[in-house]
Amino acid sequence: MRALLALTVFGGGVAHATLAPAIRIGEVAPDIPLVLVTLLALRRGPDVGCLAGFVAGLLQDAAGGGLLGVQAMTKAVAGFLLGLAADQLNPRQPLVQVPALVILSLAEGLGRYALLALFHYPAPFADLMVYVVVPQALYNGFLGAALVLMLAWAESQRRRPA
Amino acid sequence: MKIRRLLLLASVVGVCLLLLTLQTRGRATEAADVVSVLVTPVQRALAALHRGVSGAWATVASWRSVRAENARLREENRRLKLEALVVREAIEENSRLRRLLDLRARLPIETLPGEVIAREWGGWVRSLTVNRGQADDVRRLTAVIAPEGLVGRVVDVRPWASVVQVLTDPASSVGAHAVRTRTPGVVEGDPRATLRFKFMARDGAGLQVGDLIVTSGLGGVFPRGIPIGRVQAIEDRGAALFHYAILTPAVDPGRLYEVLLVTGDPTRDLTAYFATRG
Repeated sequence: MRALLALTVFGGGVAHATLAPAIRIGEVAPDIPLVLVTLLALRRGPDVGCLAGFVAGLLQDAAGGGLLGVQAMTKAVAGFLLGLAADQLNPRQPLVQVPALVILSLAEGLGRYALLALFHYPAPFADLMVYVVVPQALYNGFLGAALVLMLAWAESQRRRPA
Repeated sequence: MKIRRLLLLASVVGVCLLLLTLQTRGRATEAADVVSVLVTPVQRALAALHRGVSGAWATVASWRSVRAENARLREENRRLKLEALVVREAIEENSRLRRLLDLRARLPIETLPGEVIAREWGGWVRSLTVNRGQADDVRRLTAVIAPEGLVGRVVDVRPWASVVQVLTDPASSVGAHAVRTRTPGVVEGDPRATLRFKFMARDGAGLQVGDLIVTSGLGGVFPRGIPIGRVQAIEDRGAALFHYAILTPAVDPGRLYEVLLVTGDPTRDLTAYFATRG
């Protein structure tokens, strides 16, 4: 199971660098690792959410050539907080998973901007929100919904008696 | 249980803060190298897989449209048409590579060809990863070009790969001037993936839509005269000191598969080696 988790997180990080540009709509590409971290945090709790967010974010930092540690931190904190919130929610419900993904994407974007602002990141806040964070959050929600449906279908197939 | 969780979060945040602090002091390249040693081979493999799948998909899509137009001859010609499509794809690739090699042979400056193995397109960072790194003696801030013009600069060199910050990255800025009017300014990327040419109002009086903007060569990073883009629109900002022109980039980094890394003397003037008219 741990190997599967590691594979999910590592594969998500690499897929983001290679596949995400291919499925972009206009200039908006989904944040595949964040989608996976959200689903993992909701299903497996804050510990897994935090570690998965840290590893996935670190891989993205390394692949993208940005500051190492920025996405690692924002995704780890996001995974942790969502994992904690999952105790109060019904995390198997698509109506919880998809909005949680959109809200988490927005929160992660705000957190990342706040952290990058400490390092004099030059892009204007409003432009970044309008052209990057909000469209990406909606795309993440769309992609998350597709993944949730696929997972639900896979689970129903597994439960079906042979 | 709660304390254990908080300790976990604190450790992770602590590691991130340590990494960030080390980088602000310029001592984190070793950590980045270790991560990239793990990531680069998988990126190469997935890039090859991705290219294969997109190639196959493009072939199927083209085949379908041809079939609709040529229903009567479909059965007779199917095999030949598929072969023709494969050949056409090969010709396209050949033509792309030939243009790159032509440029390489033409330039009076040493260059190194590289293949794009990954792209970061999140909007926060826009970068390409190319399969040339420390092993090929690539240095940080190396200019990266394509036959159409400037792609960007190397911002991170790993053992076997380099990360290229493309011009449309929001943190990218390049000294430039307009070819026709010699208006000097700075080309900046922005989160919309467009390019903006920032120039002083008094210098840019004659700037027109369609004017070509090229690198100025100031700063010693980019050779002078490499096309960056053409003026698409000029933002009238009234009495402001600086005005902006929106540019159509000369190179679409989203469709690049091969690039040249300028490893030679970046102070050379390359104006004569790129198409700057029309």
